[in-house]
Amino acid sequence: MQLNPSEISDLIKKKIENFDLSAEAHTEGTVVSVTDGIVRVHGLSEAMQGEMLEFPGNTFGMALNLERDSVGVVILGPYQHITEGDIVKCTGRILEVPVGEALLGRVVDALGNPIDGKGAINTTETAPIEKIAPGVIARQSVDQPVQLGLKSIDAMIPVGRGQRELIIGDRQTGKTAIAIDAIINQKGTGIKCIYVAIGQKRSSIANVVRKLEEHGAMAHTIIVAASASESAALQFIAPYTGCSMGEFFRDRGEDALIIYDDLTKQAWAYRQVSLLLRRPPGREAYPGDVFYLHSRLLERASRINAAEVEKLTGGKVKGKTGSLTALPIIETQGGDVSAFVPTNVISITDGQIFLESNLFNSGIRPAVNAGLSVSRVGGAAQTKIIKKLGGGTRLDLAQYRELAAFAQFASDLDESTRKQIERGQRVTELMKQNQYSPMSVAQMAVSLFAANEGFLDKVEVNKVLDFEAALQLYMKSEHAELMNNINETGDFNNEISSGLKGAIESFINTHSW
Amino acid sequence: MSELATLARPYAAAVFKRAKETGETVKWSKCLAFMASVIKDEDISVVVDNPKVNKQKLSALMLDICQGHVDIENENFLKLLVHNNRLDLLPTILRLFEAYKAEDEGYVEVDVYTAFAFSKEIKQDFMITLEKTLGKKIHMNVALDKSLIGGILVRAGDRVIDGSIKGRLQHMQKALQ
Repeated sequence: MQLNPSEISDLIKKKIENFDLSAEAHTEGTVVSVTDGIVRVHGLSEAMQGEMLEFPGNTFGMALNLERDSVGVVILGPYQHITEGDIVKCTGRILEVPVGEALLGRVVDALGNPIDGKGAINTTETAPIEKIAPGVIARQSVDQPVQLGLKSIDAMIPVGRGQRELIIGDRQTGKTAIAIDAIINQKGTGIKCIYVAIGQKRSSIANVVRKLEEHGAMAHTIIVAASASESAALQFIAPYTGCSMGEFFRDRGEDALIIYDDLTKQAWAYRQVSLLLRRPPGREAYPGDVFYLHSRLLERASRINAAEVEKLTGGKVKGKTGSLTALPIIETQGGDVSAFVPTNVISITDGQIFLESNLFNSGIRPAVNAGLSVSRVGGAAQTKIIKKLGGGTRLDLAQYRELAAFAQFASDLDESTRKQIERGQRVTELMKQNQYSPMSVAQMAVSLFAANEGFLDKVEVNKVLDFEAALQLYMKSEHAELMNNINETGDFNNEISSGLKGAIESFINTHSW
Repeated sequence: MSELATLARPYAAAVFKRAKETGETVKWSKCLAFMASVIKDEDISVVVDNPKVNKQKLSALMLDICQGHVDIENENFLKLLVHNNRLDLLPTILRLFEAYKAEDEGYVEVDVYTAFAFSKEIKQDFMITLEKTLGKKIHMNVALDKSLIGGILVRAGDRVIDGSIKGRLQHMQKALQ
């Protein structure tokens, strides 16, 4: 950014003009002790819970423990320069972060400061990081879909706008991959995405940013990064920061999708902060309010009705509902979902996508366990055609799971059992999907239709994916109108059914896979 | 510091209650101030901190030093502190005692720092304005501080009202960053 001297003096003049010269009244305290980013401050009798406190050297902290003679404060950022006896001032403000459209396409830290080297963020609006979730009256039920672009998920575990769907699994099972595909698939849908990276390696975060840029998905995405090298306090507040940025869109009648990657690390960071603040440890050394930590965060992901949007925007936006969909991620250890944090988050969310490492290793990617994964509200939001065609998939896979053990005795089995096994094998194969290649509703519909109507039964199991790829190409070039029609309406009727049937039959006649 | 306050609070509360009962708050205040200053003395604090010093000898020593400044109740209090190994709490007890006293009598201690000395009338006017702002009677200690450059800085407990040139300059420095 280049500035000439007269512009600089204009800027300074403007700042001086707006400078408030009234005598400043505030409450002060002094630092008593500094331990690993936790500072104990004597005085500050008027400090509020969660208030921003000002330390020397333009450093801020957040008041977390209000005690009789002292206040326990977490420093947000580096704390090496803070020493005993430093003066601490109350600011009278709860911790706030910048929000707004200007953040889209940017990478920010947990306090909303840009860290992508693209200059200052041009927004004047701020929002407190901790807000109470919308009330009962303000809410509307979930009835519009968020297409994640993954066959197995959109068909069997649909997610609706305003839903909280947990992605849970061991390390290296493709949890982040699902989240990134979901973001890429929101391109052009008007859904704004926020990706909150908590306690991850900086290199992983850079990878995510690069992948999103490659697929043109950064334009509708905000990345909030609190990497492993940042203080536990920042890792603890990062999800709330992201949530406030998402609520900005929700409260203006738009739709947003937020991904918390991952909440296990946030719980670890909060455990560290709590133990250093000397709060009593409970199960697995987590503090007593670790459930509330996640429930208050996830409760803010919601769909609000048009009346509430009108109220929040002061009548500027009418007749539009707003939503914030959350995809929290939890990493389990050795597939143990009965550990403390996983059970908590499972019980808070409206369903979970359960990923398994043995599925992943046997090449089924995304490694979704169709039996344990559920969506408690998404069914109402599913696109008609996917709902109609996807119902069979779930059933096929469930029946296959029961019989899979007998697959090796194929020759001794009766006709119907053998058929079920073969159908199951093909559907399992069909549910595989490459990373960074999300599918449209019509593409999914074609694949699912082919499986439902038994077109796959004549295809060899190891040829299913080739068949699908060739079919998709054929549909795209020969039946673009039908595909567009499905994508636009999402309806399923006799006309579409016969159209698909005819198209697939003519494709099979080409023998081109 | 906060831990010390927690330990000292019951002592201070007990002393204050007793002082109120007997109507000797001023005397207690003086006596505590004296004892606290004794403890702060380097030679004495070495003795107090030394675990090898026998408690009886220590209380005899303390009583000897304080002779003429303490009555029988003060003496008992001192012996109790020695017995409980809490002599080093005395400065904190004094601070809390003064706070209880101020609250009971309905005033606040206010430190006022000015760049230039007050004239008597201005001081009176200022005191009335300050009492209105804080909503309480005040005991004002005025001190001169040239580093303020101009204006006044008021400290009432945790509350700070900064009307000094120095404060405004610092404020401006931040705004222009």
